Amino acid sequence: MNLVKNDQYNIGHICTRQQCDQGRGNKTAFRWVSARQERIDYSFSDLDHESSRFANVLQALGFAPGEILFTFLPRTPEQFFCFLGALKLQVVCGTLFSNFGDDALLDRLGDAGAKGLVTRKSLLKKIMRIWGQLTSLKYIIVTDIDEHQSANILSYSALMNQATDDYVAPLTNPQTPSVLHYTSGSTGKPKGVLHCHRSILHQNRTAREVLDLDDSDIFWCTADQGWVTGTSYGIIGPWSLGVTQIQYGGSYDAKLWFDLLQDEAVTVWYSAPTALRMLMQEAPELYKGCNLKALRHIFSVGEPLNPEVITWARNVLGKDIYDTWFQTETGGIIITNRPALVVRPGSMGMPLDGIEVAILADDGQPLGDNQQGNLCLKSGCPSMFTTYLNNESAYSSKFRGDWYYTGDTAMRDKDGYYWFKGRSDDVINTAGHLISPFEVESALLEIDEVAESGVIGAPDELIYEKVIAFIQLHKQYVWSKELEIKIRLHVSNRASSIATPQEIIIVDGIPKNKSGKIMRRVLKAYYLGQDAGDLSTLD
Amino acid sequence: MTTMEQLNVIFKTVFDDDDIMITPEMTANDVDGWDSLSHINLITTVEARFSIRFSQKELLTQKNVGDLIRDIESKLAAGN
Repeated sequence: MNLVKNDQYNIGHICTRQQCDQGRGNKTAFRWVSARQERIDYSFSDLDHESSRFANVLQALGFAPGEILFTFLPRTPEQFFCFLGALKLQVVCGTLFSNFGDDALLDRLGDAGAKGLVTRKSLLKKIMRIWGQLTSLKYIIVTDIDEHQSANILSYSALMNQATDDYVAPLTNPQTPSVLHYTSGSTGKPKGVLHCHRSILHQNRTAREVLDLDDSDIFWCTADQGWVTGTSYGIIGPWSLGVTQIQYGGSYDAKLWFDLLQDEAVTVWYSAPTALRMLMQEAPELYKGCNLKALRHIFSVGEPLNPEVITWARNVLGKDIYDTWFQTETGGIIITNRPALVVRPGSMGMPLDGIEVAILADDGQPLGDNQQGNLCLKSGCPSMFTTYLNNESAYSSKFRGDWYYTGDTAMRDKDGYYWFKGRSDDVINTAGHLISPFEVESALLEIDEVAESGVIGAPDELIYEKVIAFIQLHKQYVWSKELEIKIRLHVSNRASSIATPQEIIIVDGIPKNKSGKIMRRVLKAYYLGQDAGDLSTLD
Repeated sequence: MTTMEQLNVIFKTVFDDDDIMITPEMTANDVDGWDSLSHINLITTVEARFSIRFSQKELLTQKNVGDLIRDIESKLAAGN
């Protein structure tokens, strides 16, 4: 059955109204399981009506196609209604991880020129502190207040009560901007990765061909909607196929997760290597009596999946885990292990049919099998980003000719399997979340006691890479436990909890080159006890 | 200040939320932003402010704020 009907590419429409038109109106779109284990089922008809109602809310507030709305929410049902409702109206929807701090929010909302934000009361104070610097931000919609607080701080429920649920999405062409996620680089501010509505073609295809989803599945993607996996595969891919999802509002809890897999009869499960490694550390009694007969497949994404986890899953769960690879920029799975392919533990798998992948040298020359180089993709995949918002030069710098340079390094073996080798920049991958060392260093320099800082990622058995901060204090200050706490909390509250340094190392100076750039490779070599290599450019 | 009041101050600082009012029944599910990483910040701050040190076993058995208060008070009573 064709996904796109009558040239209507609108993601919000396809994931809701189109499913109802195909006879799934009464089918459960998602079972909401709250952190306290309360369960509420929402049908595709509910999803359609609530998202349409929200589209009408935005329209009444004067939102026009192309304007930007962000959600800044923990996992709640409103996340889905707002996301799909905004897309129905052709408003661009950005999602923000709910543990972002003031600086992280200011960078993203400021760069995007967001007109509106949906959040919760407990998160509102962070926005209030920076609102004065956000000249475009006109409306804040709060999901857990009953009445409007002012002309600009509005109650979600009051707005929804006044709106009708009758809305027909305008015919949307494939190039219409849709979803915005910010991603971290090793230098500069985070960049706004902009996608367009045609991405649904690839998200639908990969949900079907890789995740092997069909109408009868119950799918659970554990990713937060603040990240690309949470929107591409926690919303768009499965719902474009009319698949029932489990949406769980709580955080990691080994016992509860196994109970959910069993009690909800999850058939396909998409999670992250860090979570799987945490489960692996649990006592076998925890999952021994667990009946996972319904579970057909397990997939992972975000960081390389180490072979030990695959072996554990085979022995304990009787399943393979299929590791998938993609980036915020690619919008969907590109290289992957999958049920039809023999798993080589530790490998990224193979590219999807029709997607051209190459290992290229820095000068653009193709490298042969078993040679490490830049992992590159040929332009043309429908889910690829269309630009970095307000940063065309950064976008252009990622392409050479038709090839997109992913920033990852990899090699291909003689059988066509790809093997991840690392990043070609300094970005830190902590539990599947990319952290910019620059953002952490900037937060550290806001602290009075800190004179200089340099931040690196170091290998970690559980979370893949941990954040290590090297700090030089101003001469008049001495290191103390109180200062450590101050630094940890400052980074956590200004950047995000995931950016908090796991280790802080006090040094006499931060190595820089003659132009003042922090030489993170020297810090990394020092931390790992390795040779720092050529130091001729050291200042 | 009681232990609970002192702990409330720590919660406000760690979770950057002046409105937090802790209760013994409160768990991570009740506080936006209380994830595994901010939990490390919470425990580090509690240990420093009360000059105590939790064992691994204690940390694993603390299921809510009440358990945390119980462990803090037993350590303070024991002079640790």
